[in-house]
Amino acid sequence: MEAQLLEFIRDEFLDDPETEIDADTKLISGGFIDSFSLVSLQSYIEREFGKRIPAPRITAESFDTIKQMVQIIQQF
Amino acid sequence: MISFEFFAILGLSLVLYWLLPAQRARNLLLSAASLLFIWLLDHQSLVVVLALTLFSYGMGQAIYRLKRNSWVHVLGVIGILASLIFFKYLGFLAGLFDSLYIFLEALPRFSLHHLLLPLGLSYIAFKQISYLSDIKWKLVKPGSFADFLLYNSLFTIFLAGPIERFERLNPQFQSPRIPFKKADLELGSRRIVIGLFKKLVLADWLGFFISGIWNNPSQYHPGLALLAVFGYAFQIYLDFAGYSDIAIGASRLFGLRVMENFDRPYLATNISQFWRRWHISLSDFIRDYIFFPLSRLSSNKVWLLGFVPVIAMGLCGLWHGADSRYLIWGIWHGLGLSVYQIFQQLKRRLGKRKMLKFNAFFAAIAWPLTFMFVSLGWLSFRAFGLPMARHIFFSFEGLTLTLISFLLLIFLGRWLPAFLLDIGARIRWRPAFTLYLLLICLICYSALNTEFIYAAF
Repeated sequence: MEAQLLEFIRDEFLDDPETEIDADTKLISGGFIDSFSLVSLQSYIEREFGKRIPAPRITAESFDTIKQMVQIIQQF
Repeated sequence: MISFEFFAILGLSLVLYWLLPAQRARNLLLSAASLLFIWLLDHQSLVVVLALTLFSYGMGQAIYRLKRNSWVHVLGVIGILASLIFFKYLGFLAGLFDSLYIFLEALPRFSLHHLLLPLGLSYIAFKQISYLSDIKWKLVKPGSFADFLLYNSLFTIFLAGPIERFERLNPQFQSPRIPFKKADLELGSRRIVIGLFKKLVLADWLGFFISGIWNNPSQYHPGLALLAVFGYAFQIYLDFAGYSDIAIGASRLFGLRVMENFDRPYLATNISQFWRRWHISLSDFIRDYIFFPLSRLSSNKVWLLGFVPVIAMGLCGLWHGADSRYLIWGIWHGLGLSVYQIFQQLKRRLGKRKMLKFNAFFAAIAWPLTFMFVSLGWLSFRAFGLPMARHIFFSFEGLTLTLISFLLLIFLGRWLPAFLLDIGARIRWRPAFTLYLLLICLICYSALNTEFIYAAF
């Protein structure tokens, strides 16, 4: 799941696909992804993993890194 | 908020609060103090708060207990919105209907213009919509009625937010006993004094100096009018950030942590970032309960990039009041977000190499452009500033000075944001500062005293 999310984020949202990001990179607070990108990410997660994550969970506090995303996805 | 009632209730309840041993008893005391505060301000508001709290709590219980609960959720949100529309927007709508009255003479005429907006209603309505939606999404449990009543009425954040979530406040109410910490008292009182300073010394006096220009711009040089536009940007920020400081600080005195509402918004380098830093509790609400649900309706790019931000921000504008100037302000920001997002998509499409040569240019104009965009947005927000806009932008002098100020901001942008951040980090607060600031606040309060701008929403 981590690798899949990493690939999707790198391909879809990064200005420069060569930017080094990993499972601990702060993506929202670090300015890599914004609300518009998070809408696409929410749809992607629903499509790929069958989990619908409510918007209040998709925040810089709880959804900032890929590791946190995986934890949240597993909760739902 | 800066009233005898507020500080008397704050002082008295604070002493009793820390004398009580159990958090349950403390919460009941805070609820009683909060209801007393609302009652002293306006009897009608207390009735509305209690009625809405009962309604939403009942709806929350139903959503929690029923398996097929979507219709209860919809009904609950409609009920809350109906109360908001009834008190806040019906006068505005009645005005529109009045203009059609000539064609509808056979219908009975209702007089709704003098319906008063209950205090804090806009904030409670959003808190309760988030409460019902979070129960629906299984993010929170309904909690006890006493805790929900305290969540809605807590007097430290009642008048103008922050629009806290039940999910964040309720665990604090549930705590067996919030420990007494000297640091909470020190940080809380410091924060209150800083808030008073922002409001009474900076915002009110700034407002005093620029209000003449805003009221009659044609009497002044376009350069001064332009300064008054920038001045209002700082007045509204200092006024609202000052209020938020007092609200957060007063809550901290009771050991309660309330979310931050501002994070240096005028240092934002794009409009999307600005909305992550300005009135954070409202923009979070708009994002979670309007922007995301609207975005899910269609994956069409025109809808997502063109319509959703404009509709969401238009509603955000209307939340401030039933007035076209707020709607225009919201649409202005919605269009800004939309254009910024389209630009981001284009940047991604063109790829890194093609954009590289423009990077230095974009970096130089990012901050001044954002600041100018936001400042110009306040033109509509503040008394529908068409005369002001006409005076500045329909004259050669005004346009030239706007261009010069933009160039000046580009120059300042090279070091000013970093300098301000550095100064902020270097300040070492001493207890004496709190007393000095309080003294200055008291002197300024006796000379000039105005209401908080955002308390009117």
